[in-house]
Formats: sequence, C-alpha cells, structure tokens
Amino acid sequence: MNCEKIQEKFADYLTGDLDEGGRDDVREHILSCAPCREDLENLTVVWAKLGVLPEEQPGGGLRHRFYAMLEEYKDGLEARARTAARPAGILAGWREWFSFRRPAFAASFSAFILLFGLGAGWLLNGGRAGGERYAGLSRQVQDMRQQVALSLLSQPSATERIQGIGYSAAVENPNDKTLAALFDALDNDPNPNVRLAAVDALYLFRNRPGVRESLVNSLAVQTYPLVQVALIDFLVEVREARAAEALKQLIERNELTPEVKKRAEQGLKQIV
Amino acid sequence: MNADNPEREKTGRMSPTDNELMEDVRDGRVEKLAVLFERYQAMLYNFFLRLTGNRAASEDLVQEVFMRVLKYRAGYLNEGRFNVWLFQIARNAHVDHLRKQKTTLPIDEQFAEPPSREPLPEAAYEADREAELVRRALDRLPVQKREILVLFRFQNLKLREIAELLGCRVGTVKAQVHRALKDLSRIYLELQGGRVS
Repeated sequence: MNCEKIQEKFADYLTGDLDEGGRDDVREHILSCAPCREDLENLTVVWAKLGVLPEEQPGGGLRHRFYAMLEEYKDGLEARARTAARPAGILAGWREWFSFRRPAFAASFSAFILLFGLGAGWLLNGGRAGGERYAGLSRQVQDMRQQVALSLLSQPSATERIQGIGYSAAVENPNDKTLAALFDALDNDPNPNVRLAAVDALYLFRNRPGVRESLVNSLAVQTYPLVQVALIDFLVEVREARAAEALKQLIERNELTPEVKKRAEQGLKQIV
Repeated sequence: MNADNPEREKTGRMSPTDNELMEDVRDGRVEKLAVLFERYQAMLYNFFLRLTGNRAASEDLVQEVFMRVLKYRAGYLNEGRFNVWLFQIARNAHVDHLRKQKTTLPIDEQFAEPPSREPLPEAAYEADREAELVRRALDRLPVQKREILVLFRFQNLKLREIAELLGCRVGTVKAQVHRALKDLSRIYLELQGGRVS
C-alpha cells in the first residue's frame, strides 16, 4: 500500500475507529517507511496534546439570556395567535389599548385611581389627624397593590406575571391570598423566570408562617437548574433545618445537573 | 448527542431524542428548545471559544445559534441528524461573526492571533503552560483548518458527519484533518522551540 493510502487512515487510527485490518496495514507500512513513521509519531503527539485543553463552562448569564429570548419568542407566537383569532378593526384596536391586560394601561389606571383617592381623601377628611390619615391611605395602597398583583399573576403573558410578582413583593404584609398566589407561581408556573421571581419575592416574606415550609416542599417539584439553585441558596441563607431531608432527596435525583448537585451538597453541609 | 438514542429501547427511559425534541420545536412546542439548549450550550460554547478565543463573543454566538434555530425551525427535516444541522447553523453564525470583524479590524489582526483572548493570570499561566501553548498553536492555524480540527477532535463529530456538514467527500475530510494536524504539530514545535523557559 502506498504512502497516500496509508496516510488516509491516520485520522481513524488516532480516534481508534480503524478496524484490525486497517491497523495492521498501518503498522506494517511504518515499519518500512521512515517518513510515514515520523509523520504518525508527530500526529499522535499533537493529538494527545490537544487533549490537555480544558472544557470550559459558559457563564450563567448565557442561560438567563436564552430563557428570556425563548420567553419573548413564545409571547410573540401567542400574541400572533390571539390576533389571528380576534376580529380586526378600529374598535378592536381601541379595546385592546384600554385593556387591563396591557401593563401600561393597568399601571396608568391604578395611578389615576390612587391620585383620585388621595385628592378625595384630602378634601373630605381635611380636619383629621395626619397620622391616622396616612395609615388609612397606606392600607389602601397595600390593598390596591395586592389586587393588581393577583390580577397580573393570572395573565397569560409571563412578562405580566413577573410584574405581578413585583407588585406583591412591594406589599409590606401580604394577605394569605397573595402568598398563596406566590406559592402557586413558584410550583406551577410554566415559565422558569416567573418561578425565579417568585423565589426572590418569597425571600422578603421568609418570616411568615408557612413560607419556608412551602419552599422546602418546592425543591421536590422544581426541574429547572436556576430555580433549584435559587431555592437552595434561600434555604441555606435562612438556615432552614427542615431542608436537609429535601436536599438529600434532591441529590439522589438522576437528572440533576452537576452544578446543582454540587450546590446542593455544599448547602447540605452548611445547614446540618 | 443522542440523535439515535440506542439506549432508549434497551433501558426504556423516556428521555426524548434530539430529533424528537427538534420536531416538537418545529411544530410549535418551542419550549422544548430549552432541553436542547441544556444539552448543547456547553458544546457550542467550547466550539466557538476554540475558534474565536473570546469568551464573551462565544456566549453571544451560542445565543445567536439558538435564535437562528427558532427562526429556521420550520425548515428542519427529520431525515437529517440534529447535531449536523445545529453545527451548520453554528458555522454560519461564525462566518457572519468573522465578516463583521472584518469591517472593523485589519486582516492581520483577525487571523494572525485571535483579537481578544483574555490574558491568563501569571499563576494560572505557569500552571497551565502546556495548555496555553496548544491553544496558541491552534489559534495560529488558518481558520478553516482550525475549524475542521475542532469539529473532529472536540465536538465528537464523525468523519462522515463532518463531510455532510462541509458538503464534501469523507476522503477529503480525512486528508484535511491530516494536513491540519501536521500544520498544528509544526506550529507547536516552533512555539515550543521559541519559548523562553
């Protein structure tokens, strides 16, 4: 066999994909052909050298950007599907603009109602003590935020649901209904960014009864790595002893990514 | 990655193949792309990192690839292997990246050395001297040769898959791999000889 034919086999020889007959051909040839022998030796060395290049992991920002892009794309698809299903026309356009599903309109309307309430309160109760008036208004604002939060959390768009979580996070002492909506978003929302936002919001209410327990239980249902890590960080931060068992079960799960597993193992050490 | 998934029948695991996932994405269940992203992001990132030597650009390129997957999802044919299709998109994204660079950088800066390799800290350089030497040798290869070596050595693509990707015969790929390795070996020895240590 000539040199050219033998050299064609070198790539497969290096990867180990050459069959026994092919390997014998190569060995036999290089015994009698010094240039090919030297060539193969050099190639084998450089092939092995390439193996020292480490495999790197991309930064977490890439994953975040990907999921944001995917969510935006899904929202676009859903919006197009809705537009296609709806009768077109000027009236439909105006109705859309004045819809509470538009965050801009919902926010403007809320601000208008708030200002109207402030003005009316000032006119009607001008004689009352300032502190009492402030407490009443503050309660109203809190209630209004919770209503807006609950309304946004039931919207089909993930962006609006994330805004809803933002509203509930701004409530000083949310009622049980708002907390239940946050637990529901954490465990059942199809969008990982919404679930992540729910973890962050619930951190603010970590001292309310039931919050830590719900987060411990949530570890068993989460599958998205960033949410799993956020939950682990939360539970480690608050030193939640009840999380130990849930973390052990999480570590046993086969589909867990190596990064999450490592984080869970570290977390377990920090808790116990 | 698991395009053929021979394990599936043996073990009865319900992990969907790349091809099944991509068919779902094509048919409108675009959330399935998340699974493909988790399977391929690190592989694509390292592919770009070895071609560009630039971490930030490599992350941008991975994002660009998945954007293009969504853009061209309707054209995905299940007869093709998913990984070959994905790397075709990745190669195109890289070509466009080089084209963009060309308009902003003089030609010798683009090919002689990668323009934005982050310098390693002194300690890491000492500890990882050999890897750095290999990396520099790889960076000095012309981009086509570097690409074929990266595909063959690091991306676990078979010669026939690379031939499909490049649109040429398997014999041509074998010859190109051979030439690229020879050049790399020569450059590596030159760098090693020229190194003050």
